Amino acid sequence: MDVERNMKVSINQSRLILPVVLVVVLAVFPIIGTPPAWLLYLFHFFIYLAMANMWNLLAGYSGLTFLGPAALVGLAGYTLVIVTWNDLPFYLGIIVGGVVAAAFAALIAIPTFRMRGIYFAIGTLVVPEVLRNVFYVWKPIPGDFIGGGAGYMIKGIEGLSLTEFYWLALVTGIVSILVMRLVLRSKLGLGLAAIRDSDRAAASSGVDVFRSKLYAFVIAGFVMGAAGAIFYIYQGNIQPKEAFAIKWLMYPLVATVIGGMRTEEGPIVGTTIVVFLYFLLSKYGQLSLLIQGVILVIIMLLVPEGIVGFVRRKTKNYQSILQLATRR
Amino acid sequence: MSVEVLGDLFRPIIMGVLLGGLFALIALGLSMVFGVMKLINVAHGDLMIFGAYFAYALMTAWGIDPILSLTMGIPLWFGLGFAIQKYIMSRAFGISMEAPLIIAFGISLILQSLAQIIWSPYNRGLEAPYALGYISLGITSVPRTYLLSFIAALVVMLVLREFLRRSYLGKAIIAASQDRRGAELVGINTGRVYAFAFAIAMATAAVAGVFFGLTFTFTPTSGVGYLVIAFGVIIIGGLGSMLGTFIGGIVLGLTQTLSGHFLGAAWQMLFVYLIVFVVLAVRPQGIFGR
Repeated sequence: MDVERNMKVSINQSRLILPVVLVVVLAVFPIIGTPPAWLLYLFHFFIYLAMANMWNLLAGYSGLTFLGPAALVGLAGYTLVIVTWNDLPFYLGIIVGGVVAAAFAALIAIPTFRMRGIYFAIGTLVVPEVLRNVFYVWKPIPGDFIGGGAGYMIKGIEGLSLTEFYWLALVTGIVSILVMRLVLRSKLGLGLAAIRDSDRAAASSGVDVFRSKLYAFVIAGFVMGAAGAIFYIYQGNIQPKEAFAIKWLMYPLVATVIGGMRTEEGPIVGTTIVVFLYFLLSKYGQLSLLIQGVILVIIMLLVPEGIVGFVRRKTKNYQSILQLATRR
Repeated sequence: MSVEVLGDLFRPIIMGVLLGGLFALIALGLSMVFGVMKLINVAHGDLMIFGAYFAYALMTAWGIDPILSLTMGIPLWFGLGFAIQKYIMSRAFGISMEAPLIIAFGISLILQSLAQIIWSPYNRGLEAPYALGYISLGITSVPRTYLLSFIAALVVMLVLREFLRRSYLGKAIIAASQDRRGAELVGINTGRVYAFAFAIAMATAAVAGVFFGLTFTFTPTSGVGYLVIAFGVIIIGGLGSMLGTFIGGIVLGLTQTLSGHFLGAAWQMLFVYLIVFVVLAVRPQGIFGR
């Protein structure tokens, strides 16, 4: 018994130590002369990780199959344009971008939460299409040769290098992980789990269904928006066609499903695979997307709980067999 | 003054009605799969665009007329649909609520990237000598492609309606869509019926793809927008009614041409998507629906 308890304590400590060490190591990467290509991979990893985590929060934990992340990313990107063209600093653009995306999420929650199941999915798929067309005609910053289909440059980022982009992305990725942990361990997380299983049962046991979903949606909106704004700081320009593109749904969805929906580690594993494939096959253009599509279909058919869910189930079986064998 | 305004409006109204036929044609397959299996095939738009690319490949490689290429396209898409339903989708239903949606999304991803690898992301279009230029309709003239698409939509709808009403398989499809267990009790193999329904839906997507390609240019990612429009058509028109689908198509077609007429071409798609969104938010069961 004593040995067991000691082991538990040391496990708890190592649980805290390991992530802290990992974060510190990741943070000093740019200083110790890591190749820029690696930093670039990790930059994309953290941006897509933040997106995937938030998509998992919505689709996996809140029962909101949200097909419109591009709306939040694009809006935050254009907010960044407005902020930086008014000679305000870029980090303000990230925060305001996140706030605008969160506010927009709250706004579209009112009509879209009335829709159920597939209607919600398609209803949210329409939103980026609407916004893209809005930004084709509406110029937030008027002028010739800018706005519309041509898009905008992001101003005020001349002094920044990959190191800063990397740190910004790292912070977003870590924040998204922490947000997931906090939300899932809070009353909100419990309410969301109840709603996902049955919204009527949840409502009758005193969970405010609309409000719980709304909170999840707004939180996801902020993080997705901030991640999007950071991506456009790195990219340096934004056009409606690309900002509201389906790729902003593709990466989080594919990463979450491959890794494992409704698991906290799933998006981490999935994003690793997606980003790895993306850079491994970047020479061959669209090939990585093709492979991702094939993997997505195969995973969903064979192991719908995703890689993490699958491994967890298998090890659980293994552990219980081990326990049966070792006890007495 | 009113006569002049009306005269001006004739063209966008007629164009809108004709365009509505094309929208209805695109929505037909989506509506069928939705009605029978309660599944929104998110890959429908991409399968339609892929049909356009198939005709494009035959046209550029051997100079085969796009409409004539349907003699190959329809059976191929029919088989493709049958296989997708039989080997992939039928399993997805048993897994979870969102599994069919995600798998259809995966198929859409595969088709989009395949189209980009093979045909590049640039705009492509289908051409046929008889589809060029304008045709006079008495009061005004319209592009020939619009009229062709409208006629094709009418033909496909009539054929499909007669098929559903008269053939055994058609009746079985309707029975399975109304009550799956009831259909099974009277000896209908619903698994097989589902596969045929999906196959027929895909065949209409092949037809829609060709007429779409003759009317507009397309890129590998055009499918998403038209999936949304097709969904809007069946929401406005309500499920299970061909006439409703046609009306839904015409509503969105008129939205596009009239907003283009009054506000300029840049605004027209914005209004189409907005209408779809508003209808979804206000009346998800459809305006003409049951």
